Amino acid sequence: MSKTVLMDFYADWCGPCQMMKPVLEEFEATHGDVEIKRVNIDEEEELADKYNVSTIPCFVLERDGVEVAREIGVMPLKKIEKMLEK
Amino acid sequence: MRSYDVVIVGAGIAGMTAAIYVARAGKSVILLEERMHGGQIINTINIANWPAEPGISGAELSQKIYHQVNNLGVEVEYVKVLSVEESDEYLTEQDAKNAARRLFVVKTEDGDYTAKAVIVATGTEPRKLSESQMKDAGKRTVSYCATCDGAFFKGKPVVVVGSGNTARHEIAYLNNIASKVYHIHHDDPIPEDAVAVFVAIGRVPNTDAVKNIVDLDESGYIVAGENCKTSVPGIFVAGDCRVKDVRQLVTAAGDGAVAAAGVLAYLA
Repeated sequence: MSKTVLMDFYADWCGPCQMMKPVLEEFEATHGDVEIKRVNIDEEEELADKYNVSTIPCFVLERDGVEVAREIGVMPLKKIEKMLEK
Repeated sequence: MRSYDVVIVGAGIAGMTAAIYVARAGKSVILLEERMHGGQIINTINIANWPAEPGISGAELSQKIYHQVNNLGVEVEYVKVLSVEESDEYLTEQDAKNAARRLFVVKTEDGDYTAKAVIVATGTEPRKLSESQMKDAGKRTVSYCATCDGAFFKGKPVVVVGSGNTARHEIAYLNNIASKVYHIHHDDPIPEDAVAVFVAIGRVPNTDAVKNIVDLDESGYIVAGENCKTSVPGIFVAGDCRVKDVRQLVTAAGDGAVAAAGVLAYLA
């Protein structure tokens, strides 16, 4: 089975990112098979650069290390789940 | 088809406040939100003019109101509303005889809802760059929120487009981060070395879904007085998408209460 990782690029000063915290917690509780990797862009600047992230919140879905979906901005759980269809 | 006494379009401060009043009056109500509950305010880090909670963030305030709404049993669906239309059906037989109150159909990307009354609280969104400037911007980052995205451009030259209050705030904020902040007006060429374009050229109302049913002014805002009644009985408006002078959190919440009271009187 392929390994699925959802990367959440955020910052402490980003209000919309705070809004996504409870949404991601709900996602985590219902999708145990997806690994969630939270990336604080202030602490992991290189990673943000590598992924070419310049707007947050930004969510990148990877399957076996390959990016298959990317969404920017605040969004409801449903929309994050939709990324899994990719 | 899902049926409710009241369908509220938009779960910003106005819409959520209206939902609190409507739910407390015992009516069935659903909030339909295209993006995220809270609306425009979630981008604000530090709110100075919400009574009793100076300094609260927009995200925290939105979350608090959302929980309050949730605890009242109000459903929130995250879906884009396409249109609000009048149906052929009436609320009661008496209404049919008088050709009075009709049921409304709220069409969304994910099915339709019927409602006895509708509150439109769809707010505004940033006005987008012109096509020529979009082309000019090319692959550079185009942002509508300096406090959200400014930090990505530490020590780099950026440009702010716009001439109003918001533009001045964005410039002041970016001056502490970027190596240089260019300031241009709507339709000026974008400086070549700017790596990001911050846009602050005003806001436009999100009223596409109702433009065919209620009266709008020439800028697209929904025409209604302080009683929040639109040109169609049974459709009310609340918050920033209404024609008004002062667009603030408290006036949005105020509209929510007024629109809800209007709805309850209409359904009585």
